Amino acid sequence: MNTRTITATPRSAAGLPLGALAAGLGFGCVALVPLLVDDPFLIHSLIMVLFFAYMASSWNFLCGYVGQLSLGHAMFSGVGGYVSVLMFTQLGLSPWIGMLFGGLLAAGLSVLIGYPTFRLKGPYFTLTTIAFAEIVRIWVENTNDFIGVPLKGAEGLVVPAAGDSLWAFQFSSKTPYFYIILAMLALVMLATRLMERSKLGYCLKAVRGDRDAAEALGINPTPSTLAALAISAFMTALGGSFYAQFFRYINPERNMGLELSIDMAVMTIIGGQGTVAGPLLGALILTPISEMARSHLGGGLPGLHLVVYGLVLMACVLYFPKGAIAPLGRLAKRLTDRRGSRP
Amino acid sequence: MTTTILDVQGISKRFGGVQAVKDLSFSVGKGEILGLLGPNGAGKTTAFNMIAGYLRPDTGKVLFEGKDIAGKRPWDVCKAGIARTFQLSKPFGDLNVIENLMVGGFCRTGDRARIRERAEWMADFLGMGRQREAEANNLTAFDRRKLELGRALCTEPRLLLMDEVVAGATPSEAGEMVELVRRIRDMGISVLIVEHVMKVIMSLSDRVVVLDYGELIADGEPQRVVAEPRVLKAYFGERYVQSRA
Repeated sequence: MNTRTITATPRSAAGLPLGALAAGLGFGCVALVPLLVDDPFLIHSLIMVLFFAYMASSWNFLCGYVGQLSLGHAMFSGVGGYVSVLMFTQLGLSPWIGMLFGGLLAAGLSVLIGYPTFRLKGPYFTLTTIAFAEIVRIWVENTNDFIGVPLKGAEGLVVPAAGDSLWAFQFSSKTPYFYIILAMLALVMLATRLMERSKLGYCLKAVRGDRDAAEALGINPTPSTLAALAISAFMTALGGSFYAQFFRYINPERNMGLELSIDMAVMTIIGGQGTVAGPLLGALILTPISEMARSHLGGGLPGLHLVVYGLVLMACVLYFPKGAIAPLGRLAKRLTDRRGSRP
Repeated sequence: MTTTILDVQGISKRFGGVQAVKDLSFSVGKGEILGLLGPNGAGKTTAFNMIAGYLRPDTGKVLFEGKDIAGKRPWDVCKAGIARTFQLSKPFGDLNVIENLMVGGFCRTGDRARIRERAEWMADFLGMGRQREAEANNLTAFDRRKLELGRALCTEPRLLLMDEVVAGATPSEAGEMVELVRRIRDMGISVLIVEHVMKVIMSLSDRVVVLDYGELIADGEPQRVVAEPRVLKAYFGERYVQSRA
């Protein structure tokens, strides 16, 4: 589904937009998987695909539509993860509440950082986002205690077991985590779809196209980009909280390292940035490759998955500069045109 | 007597040691097409950018419908009722024609259905109805110019600033653009046009102002102004004027 072209939405016989129908059917089929398959490794792998699709979609919400490459988004994931874990361990609050607070803190932090950085363009913007994220990561990595709050530096924090409890966001089976991340992905994709059809979406796409031309059409780029950044940071932080709860462990390297930011960006670019389904497609392509590279070759060749990412990225840029979603979009358009031209 | 919609009062702009525009004053009447002329480097685009909010004047006022907009940012100038096109057209390449036009519509309302309806009408007005789903990247240079013009019109301006709209166009395309500009004026929109192609300026403008080295050297009807010695000297040099004398 290439959502860049929004004209004359094709509709099903029941009057529903075909895209929405296909998305609903797709999510419905995926939701049936745990009922049909009883393989924890497969469910775990699917959770990772959905998690990275969620994170890439959160990144895409801003960067895909504004056309700026942020490699600092993992910082927001870390903020979300640490806040939810600390609120649970220190205050006894449910991680669901901590997730919300983490999201809000990340959104606030993003506006503070975004205001000066969005004045920069291209590689200067990217380098600045890396710098901010690395400052925060290195600070957390080297801080054992911050005003009485134990961060435990590079060692990280372990979430104490609380039994099978929805309130504590802890489950003995992987299936509930599967449904939670599936619902989160559905919500972020819906939010992206609504955004791209809204005034905000048009403003962001105009800024991506040409900033001067956008300004001449009455668009003040700063509030639009900052609003999208805050939403994107909020959603990324929720993903970071999920990750911490899923593994019941958080440390700066895993939750806020540069590698996570690169994962989000590369998956979106390969799938198709500035589209609703592109990040999901990118995660579907890259996560299994990455998991296989890690599990089969990672011991002997650490970081090999990044080499694989690089190769896939080069192939994609050469053959599908608009992402792997573009040929699928053309195919879907051809099918709907053929269907429409039938008597 | 026409009412003034834009009154430029003594604006100046200096870039380091270069005085790009010096104490420039002129006005645009309601429903008027005013041509802004001058040789390369005369300060036309600098003046244009000061009116459109891309440059802040060092001195002077820019009164639009009586309100000073000098120093306001481009989006505020647009919201006030002034739209512009660029010397090098800047379409949003990966959006299609209708989406490009819709971006302009959000300046006035958030009603997506109304914006889309207006964008469809504008595509037809520009003669681009059959290309409405074409990506801007796939359009010809002239169609991109028309698209940019339509996008500016979708902001519902009362004054349109046009920067060299027929640059690089074939004679038939230039004729089509002249016709479009006339129809825009007939819609009640005043036009300030910067142009090098004399044939276009002469056939379009109700009045022209001429700049040279950042200063106003002539203001009046096109036929009279282009025969003025100061204008001829600015364009062709002293020897040309002497040889005609």
